[in-house]
Amino acid sequence: MPVSAETKYGPSVTTNTVEFPYRRSLGPVVGGFVAALARGQITGVRSTGVRGGGRVLCPPLEYDPDTGAATDGELVDVGPEGTVRSWTWVAAPDARHPLDRPFAFALIQLDGADTAMVHAVDAGGEDALRAGLRVTARFRAQPKGRTDDLAYFVPEGTETTDPDVVDAAAAAAGAAAAGVSTEPVQTMEFWSSLTYKEAVSPATARYARSMLAGTLLGQKCPTCAKVFVPPRDFCSIDGIRLDEGHDLALPDRGVITNFTIVTPVPYPGQKETEPFVRVSVLLDDVEALMGLQPVVDIPNEEVRVGMRVEAVWLPESERNAEEFGNRGWGSTTGAISGWRATGEPDLPVERYIDRVF
Amino acid sequence: MSADEPGAPGKTFGEPVAIVGYAVSPMSEFAEQTEVQLCLDVVTAALASSGLGRKEIDFTCSGSSDYLSGGTFTFVANLDAVGAWPPIRESHVEMDGAWALHEAWVRLLIGEERTALVFGSGKASTGELSRVLTLQTDPYYLAPLGTDPLSLAALQARALLEAGKATERDLAAVAARARRAAATNPLAVPAVAAAGAAAVGDLDAEIDALLAAEYVRSPLRAHDTPPVTDGACAVVLATATVARRLAAEQGITPVWITGLEHFVEPHQPGMRDLTDSVSTRRAGEAAGLADGGPVEVAELSALHSHEEIILRGALGLPDTCEVNPSGGALAANPTMATGLVRVVEAARAIRERGARRTLAHATSGPCLQQNLVCVLDEASTEEAR
Amino acid sequence: MSGEPCAIIGVGQTHHKSKRLDVSLAGLLREAASRALTDAGLDWPDIDAVVLGTAPDAFEGVMMPELYLADALGAAGKPIMRVHTAGSVGGSTGIVAAHLIHARRHRRVLAVAFEKQSEGNAQWGLAGGKSGGMGAGGIFAPWIRSYIRRSGAPEHIGWQVAVKDRLNALKNPYAHLKIADISVEKVRESFMLWDPLHFLESCPSSDGACAVVLTDEAGGRDAAARGNPPAWVAATAMRSEPTSFPGRDPVRPQAGVDCAHDLYRAAGITNPLAEIDVAELYVPFSWYEPMWLEGHDITGPGDGWKLVESGETEIGGSFPVNPSGGVLSSNPIGASGMLRFAEAALQVRGRAGEHQVDGARTALGHAYGGGAQYFAMWIVRSTLG
Repeated sequence: MPVSAETKYGPSVTTNTVEFPYRRSLGPVVGGFVAALARGQITGVRSTGVRGGGRVLCPPLEYDPDTGAATDGELVDVGPEGTVRSWTWVAAPDARHPLDRPFAFALIQLDGADTAMVHAVDAGGEDALRAGLRVTARFRAQPKGRTDDLAYFVPEGTETTDPDVVDAAAAAAGAAAAGVSTEPVQTMEFWSSLTYKEAVSPATARYARSMLAGTLLGQKCPTCAKVFVPPRDFCSIDGIRLDEGHDLALPDRGVITNFTIVTPVPYPGQKETEPFVRVSVLLDDVEALMGLQPVVDIPNEEVRVGMRVEAVWLPESERNAEEFGNRGWGSTTGAISGWRATGEPDLPVERYIDRVF
Repeated sequence: MSADEPGAPGKTFGEPVAIVGYAVSPMSEFAEQTEVQLCLDVVTAALASSGLGRKEIDFTCSGSSDYLSGGTFTFVANLDAVGAWPPIRESHVEMDGAWALHEAWVRLLIGEERTALVFGSGKASTGELSRVLTLQTDPYYLAPLGTDPLSLAALQARALLEAGKATERDLAAVAARARRAAATNPLAVPAVAAAGAAAVGDLDAEIDALLAAEYVRSPLRAHDTPPVTDGACAVVLATATVARRLAAEQGITPVWITGLEHFVEPHQPGMRDLTDSVSTRRAGEAAGLADGGPVEVAELSALHSHEEIILRGALGLPDTCEVNPSGGALAANPTMATGLVRVVEAARAIRERGARRTLAHATSGPCLQQNLVCVLDEASTEEAR
Repeated sequence: MSGEPCAIIGVGQTHHKSKRLDVSLAGLLREAASRALTDAGLDWPDIDAVVLGTAPDAFEGVMMPELYLADALGAAGKPIMRVHTAGSVGGSTGIVAAHLIHARRHRRVLAVAFEKQSEGNAQWGLAGGKSGGMGAGGIFAPWIRSYIRRSGAPEHIGWQVAVKDRLNALKNPYAHLKIADISVEKVRESFMLWDPLHFLESCPSSDGACAVVLTDEAGGRDAAARGNPPAWVAATAMRSEPTSFPGRDPVRPQAGVDCAHDLYRAAGITNPLAEIDVAELYVPFSWYEPMWLEGHDITGPGDGWKLVESGETEIGGSFPVNPSGGVLSSNPIGASGMLRFAEAALQVRGRAGEHQVDGARTALGHAYGGGAQYFAMWIVRSTLG
């Protein structure tokens, strides 16, 4: 994980960016709404049922929001003009917003619709906004098959200078010329990127410091006498706080108690391409176990329960405190490259195979 | 095993349920403790205040959100705060802890279990809260537009102003009172408490000063919006049999839950009346708000100033009712625990300040989409009869 | 179980597939929910409350999706709860819904669970977006090796379960995987995904949803009178334990043992192997069938694999397990637990179609999650009391 270190002897804040291109399947109603946008047409859907029946919902839904009853599924044209019912001004837009210049978010009731939709209004300045303002839609000049092909609204009568958008008539003409499909659009990508930051806990900071100095560190609960690696500053069995006084230096030799060989599957961010081994190592002398550890210089097919191993420490100059985060329990990455066979005789399988924690 | 183990004799259906213990963590804009540690401390303190031991708890339920903490299954780690060994009867809602309270309360009503531990936690500072909460909105029409929670709240505030149900001055008055309350609440976010303590002169002058500030999303100004907050909160529940024993043996003052209901509204902000909170009104009615004496204290999860005005109206609170003496969510808004903190504040008003009847409110979703009302009383419904 | 009796009168599920590109999230859930309502002879307005379950929100990229989905599930003006207890969530969701009936909070509750894995990538989600993710199988594989060693089970047991469940899936119109030419050889020859687990010993990634309609005693009797046989909830249980601590036994987790014994005690079952007619166990990797047979004390230690080897867990055997094809054939993660609970209900209602177990009167629905640390189970019966 990308981490920023703030001090030499251990990071104080870690940051982590989580990104993914979600693929949304749209279904017939949203998909139909998107398809119509390419023709410069905004659509709603007619509600059915006892309560609220007959009203036109925009944005169109598969169901009546008040009753859950299925809408009739027939998309009907609304807009492209409408009326602002409420608004707010976004003076400093950020990357997720539809416009990179100040704009309004507004509740817009399109002509022919009985409900309002949330959308953006490019109005130049906040002074132009008021409830009751008449607005009209602008469409993406080169539609991408997304809900945001409806780019934004402008006050009626506004000349558009933005070359990326067109009005409804131009969009319709362009679509007719290009022979745009009327079939509902099936999927749309939604890019999600979030950055998280968290203070490194004192327990993690001590673990990182110890690892940089070449010593594995655990913590022993005075109540149950169990040893946790790395220190957590609490005991998950007894539900009590622990502290630095319970820390315990641990040996860096042990026995493989179990393992798996993972055949990696591709996903965004995945760098592994070949099957890789992860082992559990029960340390010598103390009842402490390191899970999900990589091995060094042991072919996958030779990894076995009972094998004696020792830690392979990275050269001090290559150790990296930034690898140690609050949730990387048992992670040795950043100080230990993995575990290699010592060549000593194996220990009996039956005594160790159950020790995976 | 607990003496109050399920299956033990004398289990009865529908016994009244009381809050017998609670604890709230310090509230900060960036907690250095992990979420597990925040939970561990409030769980320990709440149990201590209830007179019950960890192993005397029959059921545990918590509320938290993966998306706040930026992982998958992050609530699993919070189990460590409970010391879930030997294994416990336990559940989790991806909702504010107030809904965890609801789940636990329902279980206690059945009568198989007699005690419950409830907690809610959130470190809203971990992610970029505004971006994270944008992902709560409709994934087709809203989230791709970047409909951040502040913008949606501002649309609701504007709708309220346009309807003539409030003025910008009314909003500032809510904020001014919240800041003053925060100044005397040791559990308020320090920056808000400091702002409240710094306020000098009369309320009108302070409101004038607040109205001079720039909008962050018109018509909302910074003081109309909640602080990003890290915090946790825990509550211990017991059925009447246990609560009365604790009262007799340990001097615990039980605070009785006499009503607890919640309702949701349509998601799209343009498909409901933003100037009202129908679900809050109905939750209040269903929780028996009208059936007892006057509510003396109401703790409302009004994340923005105008929401307090909407909620007050929906609940029909009398002028004599003290609203958000803690400063409310404008003083501290630990997302996923804010509603449960309201329950604790409402319980404290009874247990520590001698109020007879109080109310707590929790909310979820854009523009007050989902609302819960909890009515608390110094006497159980049985005693009241 | 004390309190109001609870009856399942409607069950619905989607056609599970790796990619349901033909539906929106709302459409996927409504497909299952509408079928459950139709089965129950009810319509959206007849429902009093909704409970939604799903696994991590990051799998679909929608935070707290109960907000966006509330009106899609006809929940506007009603309470909606959102449960998240890791992989056991589908089961927990059913239990939370049942408790709303037991506690007489509501008369008709709709419980829905889903996952739309094709929107995102579960392996990515589980790895927190980082490289080198273990996947769920990577975590469970060492424990399976430990079980094999401990029990002395021959390696073909895993292959045999993989074949049995895929053959059962051929009888289930909703199942995702339909491998007509499945065989032990085919499983054995499939590539090693997580040593010692072969590809065909692992569950697929599915899009899917499941829904059940729960009602009270009067509703159950009314359904029976209309020719819709209900499944009566005889007992429910949930247990959890911490993820990792030295000496924890993940092969036979204590939470699983305790959960099963809570369940049997509440249902009055003393010999589960004899008294339960059919079980839907959460078996995402083939070896988990014998592991849960032993881990829930259905058989004695070391006897689970022998029951499998003898063919007794096939349809027509003495203890059929996963006649629906199980998680090995359909895995919409958040819904997988509810599918087990729902299939158990279908069996005792005599509505399981081609995969019906003759004369099923008592059935077990089971789910587990996290690092084999969360358990949810229920027993349903064809008769009340």
